[in-house]
Amino acid sequence: MTKIKSIAIIDDDPITVFGIKRMLSTLNVSENINSYVNGKEAIDDFKSIIKNNEEIPEVIFLDINMPIMDGWQFLEEFITLPIAHKIRINILTSSIDPADRENWQYYMTRTHHIIDYKNKPIQKKEIEEITKAA
Amino acid sequence: MENRITLVRNYGRMLRETRTPSYDYLIKQLPISTVFVDKKFKIIHASDKWITDFDFAKRAVLGKSLFELFEDISKSWKKDLNAVLKGKARLTGIENFYDTQKNEKWFEWVNVPWYDEKENIIGVIIQTKDISDTIFDDIKLEKLEILLRDKSEISKIGSWEYDAVQDKLSWCKITKRIHELPEDFEPDIESSINFYKEGYNRNTIAMAVDRAMTKGIAWNETLQLITAKGKEISVLAAGKPVFKNEKFLGLIGTFKDITDEVLNKARTEEQERIFSSIFNSSYQFTGILDTEGTFLEVNDTALQFSDLKQEDIINKKFWDAYWWPIPDMVKEGLKQVVAAAAQGEFMRSEIVVLDKNKQPIPVDFSLKPIYNEDDKVVSLLAEGRMIKEMVEARQKLKISERKFRSLYELSPIAYILSDFDTGEILDFNSSFETATAYSKEDMANLKFADIIPDSSKHKLINFLEEVDSKGTYGPFEHMFTKKNGTTYPVLISGSLVGNKKGRKLLWSTAQDISEVKKKEKQIREEKKLLKTLIDNLPLNVYIKDLESRKILVNKSELIYCGLKEESEVIGKSDNDFYDEKSALISREEDLDVINSLNPILGKETISVKKDGSLTKFLTSKIPLIGPDGKANGLIGISMDISDLKQQEQELRDLINVTSIQNKQLINFAHIVSHNLRSHTANFSMLLEFLVEEKDANEQENIVRMLTEASDNLLETLDNLNEVVAISTNVNLDKKPVNLNEKIAAAEQNLAAYLKKNNAKIINNIPDDTSINVIPAYIDSILMNFITNAVKYKDDSRDPVIKLTVSKNEKYTIFSIEDNGLGIDLNKYGEKLFGMYKTFHDNSDARGIGLYITKNQIEAMNGKIMACSEVGKGTTFNIYFNDKN
Repeated sequence: MTKIKSIAIIDDDPITVFGIKRMLSTLNVSENINSYVNGKEAIDDFKSIIKNNEEIPEVIFLDINMPIMDGWQFLEEFITLPIAHKIRINILTSSIDPADRENWQYYMTRTHHIIDYKNKPIQKKEIEEITKAA
Repeated sequence: MENRITLVRNYGRMLRETRTPSYDYLIKQLPISTVFVDKKFKIIHASDKWITDFDFAKRAVLGKSLFELFEDISKSWKKDLNAVLKGKARLTGIENFYDTQKNEKWFEWVNVPWYDEKENIIGVIIQTKDISDTIFDDIKLEKLEILLRDKSEISKIGSWEYDAVQDKLSWCKITKRIHELPEDFEPDIESSINFYKEGYNRNTIAMAVDRAMTKGIAWNETLQLITAKGKEISVLAAGKPVFKNEKFLGLIGTFKDITDEVLNKARTEEQERIFSSIFNSSYQFTGILDTEGTFLEVNDTALQFSDLKQEDIINKKFWDAYWWPIPDMVKEGLKQVVAAAAQGEFMRSEIVVLDKNKQPIPVDFSLKPIYNEDDKVVSLLAEGRMIKEMVEARQKLKISERKFRSLYELSPIAYILSDFDTGEILDFNSSFETATAYSKEDMANLKFADIIPDSSKHKLINFLEEVDSKGTYGPFEHMFTKKNGTTYPVLISGSLVGNKKGRKLLWSTAQDISEVKKKEKQIREEKKLLKTLIDNLPLNVYIKDLESRKILVNKSELIYCGLKEESEVIGKSDNDFYDEKSALISREEDLDVINSLNPILGKETISVKKDGSLTKFLTSKIPLIGPDGKANGLIGISMDISDLKQQEQELRDLINVTSIQNKQLINFAHIVSHNLRSHTANFSMLLEFLVEEKDANEQENIVRMLTEASDNLLETLDNLNEVVAISTNVNLDKKPVNLNEKIAAAEQNLAAYLKKNNAKIINNIPDDTSINVIPAYIDSILMNFITNAVKYKDDSRDPVIKLTVSKNEKYTIFSIEDNGLGIDLNKYGEKLFGMYKTFHDNSDARGIGLYITKNQIEAMNGKIMACSEVGKGTTFNIYFNDKN
């Protein structure tokens, strides 16, 4: 299994970030895991990555309910970034609001990136499935 | 005559030029008798004709004196001859003499001078013509004239004559008198023809005269002419030409006024014609018999009636005629009738005769004796008048009389015949008996006044006067008294009839109208009931005519129109009550209903009255369809549904509120579920880690995180409690509180926090500002906003919080303005008041404050709005509902 160059976790809940990081580390899929507490931090960082011609994380774990910039606002900006190859974005939320699922469907149609939707808590097995470069 | 003279003159010239004896023989042979005499009247030359004419054949005339030859020549002639010698150019005359046989001779002469070549008169040339025959004719005429004149005086026959030789027309006195002309009138042919009536008469006479002159045909015509005085008369004009030796000498004629005869003749003809037409075209059969009963005459009517000819009847006996139905039986009777009439009796009876189709026809027959001057019956006039129609009419009369009788007796209307002057009742029908219980036996003592109740006797006088002046009375309503003294209402009328004896009779009819009255009362009551019903309906009811004018309204409609009396509304249309637009719409609806005959049922309408007030109606308009199948108006029924609509709107608002609240609740539920799930998810994940973890340090770390998660869960639950409390405490009472007192309290509580942050509150709120709120909520709200204003301050400046208040119709608006960081409302506007929404990096932002505040404000029926500019500050406007 080829390792993933880098993975981003965007979530304001430190426990969730901890949990994902822990699971990823046991799976040993990537050496390079970064986390952001809201969408704005992440998008700002991604923009600078692109500016520096560095690599955008191949897999992103994205929470929806976050202060300042939530998951959907992040996606809105992300899909406009000039990223030619497919990025795997895993939405990870504890929301059971159907509106959120509808939003997911909507964004799927608008981008070439792969977007997945999972409810918390996430199992290690699921992490393994969804942590593959697109 | 002129020709002759010319000829003579030529001879004269010729002789003047060639005066030689050798011409003597020429003169001798002249065709006209001519003689040349010298100055001493000695005959120089003489034509043979002259010698013959004057019978001088046996005498030598040449060289002899004229006076020697004509011894008894008149002196006037001698004088004439001398005059010619003296140069008179020409002289003519007529002379007579007696020849050798003592015959009277007449000659006409022309004398001209005899010139020599030097123009000297050397003698006279005498030319003569024997006119003895003409003269004798003239005399004859004269004699005839005298004869006629004598006769004409008696028979009024005028005469006239025309002398063609002299072209002279002469009329006798009578002729002039017939023409109504004076005696000195001198006629000529043309003027006398012009007296005849233009056209046929004038043409006839002109042609007759012409024919007489040219062809010698006499005439005798009855013609009309117009006299000089313009009278039109008829004349018998006769005339005949007079010829002598085939020479036309003139016309003679007679002239007779026959106007009277013509008129008499015309009159007689007319009378005959009239008699004949009366006789023949008379509608009745007429015949004249002799006293023996033989037909002398019978008219066409009688012949046509029986399809006979004159010869079938004339000279036959009266009783043998075709038309008697049973000849043998009537024959004897007829003979007797004829005999009686011949004795001078006038016979008349109704009999039946047969027409040409053998149909019996009733006839009024009479036989009348006709007397002569000596009072003797000379003939009998038989007349028959067809009386079929009369007989039929009599029959009809009988039937109609029977009809009238049965009508009279069976009629439900009472008939009363009374003496107008005495009031006595003379007759009444059974209907009257039934109604009043009076019987015919009572009639003798019954007077008209008896059947009128005392209470209304005064009316009786009125109608008696009416009868007297107009001959009729009524119909009007009155009361009648029955035999038992009770009364009943009647509709009476009547008219005066005179009988043969000059008695004034009054026919009265009386219709019992008790039932009618009862019905009327019933209808009145029903009407009243209906009126009460529609007046008390909680509906506006009206009836409109085709022009949309109201012709009936109920009380509700009356009140709606703002009027008191129905009469004020009647005849008015929607234009009088509604504004232009509403009236127009209403009129269009009316027209639609009237034209289509389809009712409008339960249509929601909005009517705006002239004063601007608006009413919502549930309107029905139903066409009133007349007997012709067309609408003659409409019934309108309107229900005021303004209140209902208001309630409906409120209900709808409520539904909106609840649906919003429902949405919020679902949203809340999602939030709660999300928050609870995120914590439990963490628990589950951490516990899984803990079970697997061998490293003690790491285990401790996980346990620490579990504790942290537990704390977060508790906090979440606290927050949820707080929110649920607001939502469940809807029954907390609102009360008026002084806003400034509450602000002061909050300031007090936050004094340390404000001081620490160098914050300043500028309160511009009037001290008397009171708001209607739940006191606990206003405390929380004030704390929250003031805290937020400081919490999200701009580090570059000290926080300043401005508090102001304003009012509108429904709300007291409390504004909190800060100079903090501000929020990008374009980005976060939707989420500003959402649960767990935070917008700044502050670690103590929980995203619950504004959510709770908003819930509290909404729980008090208020609302909140925000405006903000990043880097300048935020203003929250809180709308406190003043009412509830």
